[in-house]
Amino acid sequence: MNLEIPFNMLLVEDDPGDQKLVKSALSAQDVKINLHIASCAEDALKYLQLSENGDVDCPWPNLIVLDLNMPGMGGKEFLTYIKAEKALCSIPVVILTTSDSEADIKECYGMYAAGYIQKPGKPAEFRDIVRNMITYWFTDGLSAKHHLQANELEKVGGK
Amino acid sequence: MYEFEEVVILLVEDDLGDQKLVAKALAKERIANKLRITSSGEEALQYLDRSKAGDKDSPMPDLILLDLNMPGIGGQEFLRLLKSDHELTTIPVVILTTSDSDRDILESFKLQASGYIKKPGSLEAFHQIMHDVTDYWFVICKRVHHDSGCKKRDTTCSVG
Repeated sequence: MNLEIPFNMLLVEDDPGDQKLVKSALSAQDVKINLHIASCAEDALKYLQLSENGDVDCPWPNLIVLDLNMPGMGGKEFLTYIKAEKALCSIPVVILTTSDSEADIKECYGMYAAGYIQKPGKPAEFRDIVRNMITYWFTDGLSAKHHLQANELEKVGGK
Repeated sequence: MYEFEEVVILLVEDDLGDQKLVAKALAKERIANKLRITSSGEEALQYLDRSKAGDKDSPMPDLILLDLNMPGIGGQEFLRLLKSDHELTTIPVVILTTSDSDRDILESFKLQASGYIKKPGSLEAFHQIMHDVTDYWFVICKRVHHDSGCKKRDTTCSVG
């Protein structure tokens, strides 16, 4: 398929400091990834709705990075919701949170999270972690290739 | 404490050459790992049944590497069955296959694969990929510790 299609990541994170850290870590990578930020789960859902409807400003995310502790709809609720949606469930979701509770870890994997990362304290560590995550998902991994939404693939008949 | 534990990786792969490649690549990794190999989806399901029953020789895997194209039930059917089993669903499954078809990729993610990697051509590339995979799942990511339950070594625990 077309390798020129840029990669897109949706970050669901309310803390502006952490938003900045992810943004800066991404900009230090070789792989070009467009970062879209939703400051709460509700905004992320709106983004995904627009994306499904073909809004060019809301390109389909190849990966969602999700905080757990947010006001309003929490991360776990968001995860449960999108994994139950036929059109959205194929997007891999990686948890990025301060929590290292065994219960949270087990619950998130049980709800089909595709990774669970505890936010590191230092920016340099943050960069390293993001680098490794990008390598796994966008360099080694082909998830980034799957830029087609589920319904789009059905429309074009697949390959 | 957990960082020094040996992790268990289950490879579900019918091709003997690829089995060897993965084994070689993982043997080089600094993260201590125990590789278990099954040559089909059916064998892997049997292995996991034994894991669930607490069989010491079939430790519960921390990661599954799964080929798609295998005789018998095939990778995607195996994945579907695994993800519908509440005792096994938290194990991350990374697809490792020759296919790069959009349909296979999308279907695998719909079935909740936690990664999709096209088998590389060279041994060197295989090493690099296995290094990145083990780094992601065992260094960067937190994982579920399966041995925290009573089924680990406690022979007095009743087995269903």
